[in-house]
Amino acid sequence: MSYSTFNKNQINPLHEPMFFGNSVNVARYDQQKHSIFEKLIEKQISFFWRPEEVDVSRDRVDFQALTESEKHIFISNLKYQTLLDSVQGRSPNIALLPIVSIPELETWIETWSFFETIHSRSYTHILRNLFTDPSEVFEDIVINEEIQKRANDISQYYDDLIFYTQLWQTHGEGVWEVDGEEHTVNMRELKKKLFLCINSVNALEAIRFYVSFACTFAFAERDLMEGNSKIIRLIARDENLHLVSTQQILNLWQYGKDDPEMKEIAEELREEALAIFMKAVEQEKQWAHYLFRNGSMIGLNEEMLCQYVEYIANMRMEAIGFDAPFKQRSNPLPWMNKYLVSDNVQVAPQEAEITSYLVGQIDSEVSAADLGDFEL
Amino acid sequence: MSQLYKVKVNGQHELTVDASQGTTLLEVMEQAGLEPHYHCRNGFCGACRVQLVSGEVDYVNDPLAFIRPGDCLACCCTAKTDLEINQ
Ligand code: FES
Ligand SMILES: [Fe+2]
Ligand SMILES: [Fe+2]
Repeated sequence: MSYSTFNKNQINPLHEPMFFGNSVNVARYDQQKHSIFEKLIEKQISFFWRPEEVDVSRDRVDFQALTESEKHIFISNLKYQTLLDSVQGRSPNIALLPIVSIPELETWIETWSFFETIHSRSYTHILRNLFTDPSEVFEDIVINEEIQKRANDISQYYDDLIFYTQLWQTHGEGVWEVDGEEHTVNMRELKKKLFLCINSVNALEAIRFYVSFACTFAFAERDLMEGNSKIIRLIARDENLHLVSTQQILNLWQYGKDDPEMKEIAEELREEALAIFMKAVEQEKQWAHYLFRNGSMIGLNEEMLCQYVEYIANMRMEAIGFDAPFKQRSNPLPWMNKYLVSDNVQVAPQEAEITSYLVGQIDSEVSAADLGDFEL
Repeated sequence: MSQLYKVKVNGQHELTVDASQGTTLLEVMEQAGLEPHYHCRNGFCGACRVQLVSGEVDYVNDPLAFIRPGDCLACCCTAKTDLEINQ
């Protein structure tokens, strides 16, 4: 089934499943099968921000005064975040747009990915301020073994789905040999890959990111690296929406509110999905170990961070119907919450360029006098 | 006019809430010194999810997080009847 950028068949998107139905033709939102995605789009757009609006210049002085072990924590963290957003800035588009079947979800995916590119640009903004030449930091992301281990798990489910979708869209269902390897392509397999991929994305955005957030905000608790912390707050707010969107998809499937076959698959692959989350938690704990290998920082150590991962994982896993697997029920880092409250997320006016005041506030009343001697 | 409801948390804390004040369940729990979970406090992250054992709630804004049957989002709902919740 090859992809068409404008499906000429008459289709009723209200009867299409979220994925693997007919490809979308008219981008219309007057009627919606799952209006939640339109609401997510609106919310996300209302969060629009630009990295350049946040003044990070003071961070340079702070950074120079950090101990070597703190520098290691700070920079490793940023490298990992850069990796995560590099993946997220492209993968939802490449993996999901070719198979999406309802316009509101298609547009949500594009909106979501676009915001990931803002996140990516903000890391450059932060690093350019800290280093005259940040190349070394960026280059290490593809060499650093600790980061590589994670990169592999994060991209694997996307890559698998993308590859099988490509086979299906160019050759159709069947058994195809590519580079000496046989691949069985049928709708059931494709949907299974999609299911695992969405679980893995949810684990990425709902759990993995929080380890990095905790480190950033631990610096902020000591009034250090505040520009960076402002940016990460904006990122965390966006990520809340992203993780909720994949929770929505998973729950819609589970509750039989979309493709009935996806409901079956959700039951069939429950253990595999669980394993994805458990592995993510394990890897994040190892990452915490790596971060603190040269020493802790005031207010945060490996143990607390691992407890926080368990706390967050319980919360996220319950949200999609798993039992909480860990005993950590109380929040070991209560100060985290104040950085995650959406109302507290503001770019300080004195640090913002004047244009930031204008976003969303364009004066819509134009009188004849405003136009003056304007002529066509 | 005040509208008083009882909110029982985790089967042990009996709280009273005046629904006419628009106090959310999250605030009710906080005022009672409990430590409810939350992040966004705005209905879009799902962190404040609690189990709604009995009773009904009203949502003050349209939450974006998925509300699984038997759950409610404490940050954006108020009591509509006496409640029993677990977290
Ligand atoms: S705290 Fe985010 S949904 Fe309630
Ligand atoms: Fe991101
Ligand atoms: Fe994201």
